[in-house]
Amino acid sequence: MAQDAGTNVKGALGLPAKRTPILIKGNDAIVKGAILAGARSYFGYPITPASEIAETASRTASSGPGISLKQEGISYCAGAELPCVIATIMRGGPGLGNIAPEQSDYNQVVRIGGHGNYRTPVYAPASGQEMCDLTMAAFETADRYRTPVMIAADGFTGQMMEPVVFPDPIPALPEKDWATRADAATRRNLISSIFLEPDELEEHNRHLQRKYKEIEEKEVRFSEYMIDGAKLVVVGYGIVSRVLRTAVHLAREEGIPVGLLRPITLFPFPKKRLEELARQAKRMITFELSNGQMIEDVRLSIHDRIPVDFYGRMGGNVPSAEECLDVIRRAAKEGGTL
Amino acid sequence: MSTMPPCGVLTPKDFKSELRPIWCPGCGDYSVLQAVYRALAAVNRPPHEIAFVSGIGCSSRIPGYTTAYGFNSVHGRALPIAQGIKMARPDLLVLAAGGDGDGFSIGGGHVAHAIRRNVDITYIVMDNQIYGLTKGQLSPTSARGTKTCTSRLGSLEQPVNPLLYVLGYGCAFVAQGTPADMPGLTAIIEEAIRYPGFALVNIQSPCVTYGEEDQLIKAHRARMTTLESLGHDPSDLIKAMDKAQHYGTELYTGVFYRNPEPPATFEGLAAERKQEMMKSAPPREKILDLFLQK
Repeated sequence: MAQDAGTNVKGALGLPAKRTPILIKGNDAIVKGAILAGARSYFGYPITPASEIAETASRTASSGPGISLKQEGISYCAGAELPCVIATIMRGGPGLGNIAPEQSDYNQVVRIGGHGNYRTPVYAPASGQEMCDLTMAAFETADRYRTPVMIAADGFTGQMMEPVVFPDPIPALPEKDWATRADAATRRNLISSIFLEPDELEEHNRHLQRKYKEIEEKEVRFSEYMIDGAKLVVVGYGIVSRVLRTAVHLAREEGIPVGLLRPITLFPFPKKRLEELARQAKRMITFELSNGQMIEDVRLSIHDRIPVDFYGRMGGNVPSAEECLDVIRRAAKEGGTL
Repeated sequence: MSTMPPCGVLTPKDFKSELRPIWCPGCGDYSVLQAVYRALAAVNRPPHEIAFVSGIGCSSRIPGYTTAYGFNSVHGRALPIAQGIKMARPDLLVLAAGGDGDGFSIGGGHVAHAIRRNVDITYIVMDNQIYGLTKGQLSPTSARGTKTCTSRLGSLEQPVNPLLYVLGYGCAFVAQGTPADMPGLTAIIEEAIRYPGFALVNIQSPCVTYGEEDQLIKAHRARMTTLESLGHDPSDLIKAMDKAQHYGTELYTGVFYRNPEPPATFEGLAAERKQEMMKSAPPREKILDLFLQK
């Protein structure tokens, strides 16, 4: 579509959409996605490799140590049902670790790092384009379900420059009758995470669980590559899924029946699809930039029906396609019948 | 819900919510609440134009007992949230309140930045030298030697001096009060609210359950000295600091320091900056284009 500045006036900003691809860093694409989703405020703490998000604009972003600091507030937001979007650009840990890419905060982000009976939807972008698109999706999900939503990217995806086509801005999100606006009309609206009566808190928690169930039913996103007839399924998200695509392609050329499943949402996790794949496949391998955290969700999804192997790198090292191919070859050989 | 009286006839009752305070009988915070009702009535802003932010602790329950917009936030974070509210809505009257633990331990780091930004907030600290809600542990203002369940042999630490602390960071309005002098307490809260900039009111609000004998209201009545009676000049920062250093030994009440030339507020400077930027800002429809291409 041609540039149509001035005529195509729509969206929250009343501004035209931009259709020409622009070469841009993943972190910057998050910021622009947030603006296109109608974000008007940003609260962040610069922690490398997420700093561009604090520098470029004005939602909240951080990395490892900063996200640890935010857990108390995230739990309060979940309890009080306040929508917000939090981006974490995962770096090496534990402790100060380093500023190279890892996916070692999977447990913190997906299994929740704060206290209480809550979950947060988690989007895991794997490209500059998705950094923008999934940020916009995150705002809509946060608003629709009144929940904090996380964007979990690795430092690689955050720092990598790629061409991004910016979509139309999201029209203004719906008005909220529960909000307080510092006027006489909304003064009775109470937004709170405190329920001192056990029965009241239990009912509130049940309400939250119903919401998470609905999210699990409606918001699962994943993508697949060469999955038809795959006897070996490799699972990876973020930058790892990009490497795995090449490895799967090369393995297929060698006649190995392997396919890739990439979770795009880490919560809700693509459980049903994995369960289906476990019926056709004989083995699965998760590839992660961690000590093996997502593997637990894969195992739970398929009820340990078939063996699940793990290959991980840590410290900021990203495996090469050849390295992944070797792992796939070995698994194919050990699997015997592949 | 109390119906809104026409402007000009607000009374302390209009700021009283239907929630009954559940502080211990005799707690100083009851008096602070009464003084806040009276000061707000005197300032005469309708409750919905007031945001009252607190952290966690006994005293942080206070917003809920008023008809103002309340924000019972996270432990130690009353000031960042109050600043956010004031920045977003400079037209609102913003109060922050909490205890000495909330304000000078876990939230201590925020005090300096709220002051140096000079956001127009009135910060009411109910200073009882103890953690009351958690049943009596050392607080940042506990005197050295204080015995609590976590310091059986007595505290080894020197207390924070909240008055010197905020004066050191350049707070333009610093006062101290006690429930032993209700008219005085009400007057300084009102004055702090009216002061255009960050204002601290430190209130010696006794804890009847875990506090020391010499901190009870009766003892305050005997110990307190009004700064006015000493002929203190509140426009003199050095004299204010001189008086403030007696925190913990003398109970001085009244205004320690009132900068006669109120410094510019952060929200005021931000509005000016915005206006300036708007002069050379590209047309609205170009902004997103430029932003996306950058």
